[in-house]
Amino acid sequence: MISPAARPLPSEPRPSDLVGADLGAKPPNRPVTAPPIAPVRRNPSPDGATAPTPAPAVKVEIRNVNFFYGKFHALHDISLPLYDRRVTAFIGPSGCGKSTLLRILNRIYELYPNQTATGQVLLDGTDILAPGLDVNRLRAKIGMVFQKPTPFPMSIYDNIAFGVGLYEKLPKSELDDRVESALRRAALWEEVKDKLRFSGLSLSGGQQQRLCIARAVAVEPEVLLLDEPASALDPLSTQRIEELIEELKADYCIAIVTHNMQQAARSSDYTAFLYLGELIEFDETETMFTHPKAKRTEDYITGRFG
Amino acid sequence: MDLYMRRRLINHLVIGLSMLATAFGLLWLALVLGTLLVNGVSAITPSLFAQMTPPPGSSGGLLNAIVGSLMMTAIATLIGTPTGILAGTFLAEYARASRLGEVVRFINDILLSAPSIIVGLFVYEAIVVHVGHFSAWAGSIALAIIMIPVVVRTTEDMLRLVPDTLREAAAALGAPKWKIIVMVAYRAAVQGMLTGVLLALARISGETAPLLFTALNNQFWSLNLDAPMANLPVVIFQFAMSPYADWQTLAWGGALLITAAILLLNISARLLASWSSFKQ
Amino acid sequence: MPADIAIDRVAAANGRKAVGDAVFRALTLFFAVLVLLILSGVILSLIAGALPALRTFGFGFLIADVWNPVTEKFGALAPIYGTLVTSAIAMLIGIPVAFGVALFITELCPKWLKRPLATMIELLAAIPSIIYGIWGLFVLAPFVQEHIEPALINTLGAIPGIGILFEGPPLGIGVLTAGFILGVMVLPFISSIMRDVFETVPPMLKESAYGLGATTTEVVWRVVLPFTRIGVVGGILLGLGRALGETMAVTFVIGNSYHVHASILQPGTTISAALANEFTEAVGDLYLSSLIALGLILFVITFIVLAIAKLLLIRLEQQGGK
Repeated sequence: MISPAARPLPSEPRPSDLVGADLGAKPPNRPVTAPPIAPVRRNPSPDGATAPTPAPAVKVEIRNVNFFYGKFHALHDISLPLYDRRVTAFIGPSGCGKSTLLRILNRIYELYPNQTATGQVLLDGTDILAPGLDVNRLRAKIGMVFQKPTPFPMSIYDNIAFGVGLYEKLPKSELDDRVESALRRAALWEEVKDKLRFSGLSLSGGQQQRLCIARAVAVEPEVLLLDEPASALDPLSTQRIEELIEELKADYCIAIVTHNMQQAARSSDYTAFLYLGELIEFDETETMFTHPKAKRTEDYITGRFG
Repeated sequence: MDLYMRRRLINHLVIGLSMLATAFGLLWLALVLGTLLVNGVSAITPSLFAQMTPPPGSSGGLLNAIVGSLMMTAIATLIGTPTGILAGTFLAEYARASRLGEVVRFINDILLSAPSIIVGLFVYEAIVVHVGHFSAWAGSIALAIIMIPVVVRTTEDMLRLVPDTLREAAAALGAPKWKIIVMVAYRAAVQGMLTGVLLALARISGETAPLLFTALNNQFWSLNLDAPMANLPVVIFQFAMSPYADWQTLAWGGALLITAAILLLNISARLLASWSSFKQ
Repeated sequence: MPADIAIDRVAAANGRKAVGDAVFRALTLFFAVLVLLILSGVILSLIAGALPALRTFGFGFLIADVWNPVTEKFGALAPIYGTLVTSAIAMLIGIPVAFGVALFITELCPKWLKRPLATMIELLAAIPSIIYGIWGLFVLAPFVQEHIEPALINTLGAIPGIGILFEGPPLGIGVLTAGFILGVMVLPFISSIMRDVFETVPPMLKESAYGLGATTTEVVWRVVLPFTRIGVVGGILLGLGRALGETMAVTFVIGNSYHVHASILQPGTTISAALANEFTEAVGDLYLSSLIALGLILFVITFIVLAIAKLLLIRLEQQGGK
């Protein structure tokens, strides 16, 4: 649950610093509560002084979510917030439930039988796990990009137009504009503007993934879920995707699953560490990676396991 | 001889036998196609395509039979293709693990290999007896029933090859299930499905037995779907079994036509399949 | 931008999308169920048509060796016997040859030859039955009559015991020729299933056997076949199902004789050949009904064989072997 205690400004010594290196004394697997609702983000200004930016709003609140694959209890009582215009990374060893958690947020798990989620996920206050909700509309609000690039067997133009056409009947000129703006936002426009009629499959891996990102933003979502978006790509393409995420952050609430800790440290503002289906720790990324509170978090981050 | 020599000997024997077996198979292929060509080519004259089936002793052609076959095959395809595709879609998209799906799949595969003469009997009992006479409709339906299981099977197999991540990506955009199937899955599988239709078409082009009990045959020119209609396989059957030389020549000609059409369909199906994988 | 996913607002959009989904699902379900209906239709119509004959003759129908349209006495023994014997001959020829072909294509043949060879063998399957029929009648039967059968009569026919299998004048047409053509027709089916199943053997398994110094024959006999035996049996049964029901090829060369002979050089008949030859000329309800009863028997036999084949192949998939 979210405790309302205020966090000190970064220039003051933090309580954990005063306590010293006592991380080893903490019991492992201590589920940690989320930080206070109004955390402060360090934002270095040109003169070197750090000034706090306005506190980000909670866009998605995950409350007491449990998930079952048939009888198998995969996620245990997860609660954490996703802040608007911030990037939250889910990290953890393989099989810890990070992708499972991500896939709850747009209810894509419902495509398969025997998978159930309980609890609440509040998007701007509305519980999206409630029955009777229009799931298709939900997925227009919460977009997803998958691990493997999945361009549809259509032209580049049609790939983007497909999603838009699900919700709006636009005249061709408007549709053209939407396609162009989506491709620009995904940093792909310059490379494909002369070959919009070519098949989406004719692009390279990195380009295909940016196409999938363009496809997702074309329907104008508010939240973007990225499930290991760069794991199938070479380092150069990975870097471009990470730069893209940094740009997209300005407009969307982003949640990214990654098994690459360095990527999480580079790209995210907040990090949630999951292990065996439990949320071990959730904190600002800088804090978690320099002063993790739970022993297990420290062990994972320093590479002792996973 | 010692063990090692014996093993080597057996190995060479088996390898030799397997090569012999392959040669055996190819030999018959060459023989059948060869005799077909030799005996049939003399019958391929313009009159084959211009004249009707003649009474014994006079010359003629196979025009009514060719047209009849084309018509019934076309109608069978019109009935069988959408039925097969939709049923296959059900199995691949809605019933992957359900009991109903398993039963339908099982029954479909049995129908796939069931003797076609049984299908002919069924359509005879179900339609010809009730209507009172043989008809091209009955023949087309019999051919459609033979075609459907093939199309169901290939459609289901091809749709299953489409990766689920593609479907998830469409669902993540908010597409309803039917759009995911029609606009994404079908598009991804279209070449495979088309190949299946071509192969089913090749299969029914040579079927004789079911037509024997349904469309029968017609000596004359007729486009009346409600009456017996001439068709190549039954004409070949009738003419080949007869003692008349010119009828037998026509039979060979018809046989060559059918085989050429079927081989063409098979080759097209293969080209289509390999072209699609080349595109990727 | 506030999210507008209020639950109450959703009904309209939800309704529109839901109708599309429901209609499409109902459509595909309808046609899937149609497949089931076709099969039940086949069974029911066969039973209905065969009932008069079965009622008249009872179970004796299955073992009576008589077929007289004039006196209206019918028995299915000769057709059933012919069907079983021709299929047995077809299997005796088809299985070893199919195995040899599959072995050659998967293990022995150079890479560049694989595809064209496989395609050519599959073309054997594409040739329609009636083509095999007329070829058999005009080409094979005379050849068999002049060369093969006299040789068989003189050699194997002279041996006491087996000799009765080869009695009688060389006619060319008959059970042997029909069985032979059936063998050539089913070998591509069996071979292609065997090939598919052989290719599922993990290369590492074969490599470990080769690595121990096993010959190709030994690898196939001791590693590949045991690994794939369920699929191989399934393929054989599938081929058998086809042989049992094959009509036109057999009709041309079987000779259409309703007597049961021990000799395979004699003419005979099969269920499908009997149907093809006589159905359109059958006069009289009992005659017709007897023919349909034959069809029912054939259907039952092939259904059982195909069902076993299918169950085996399903078990294979469940084991992950396929």
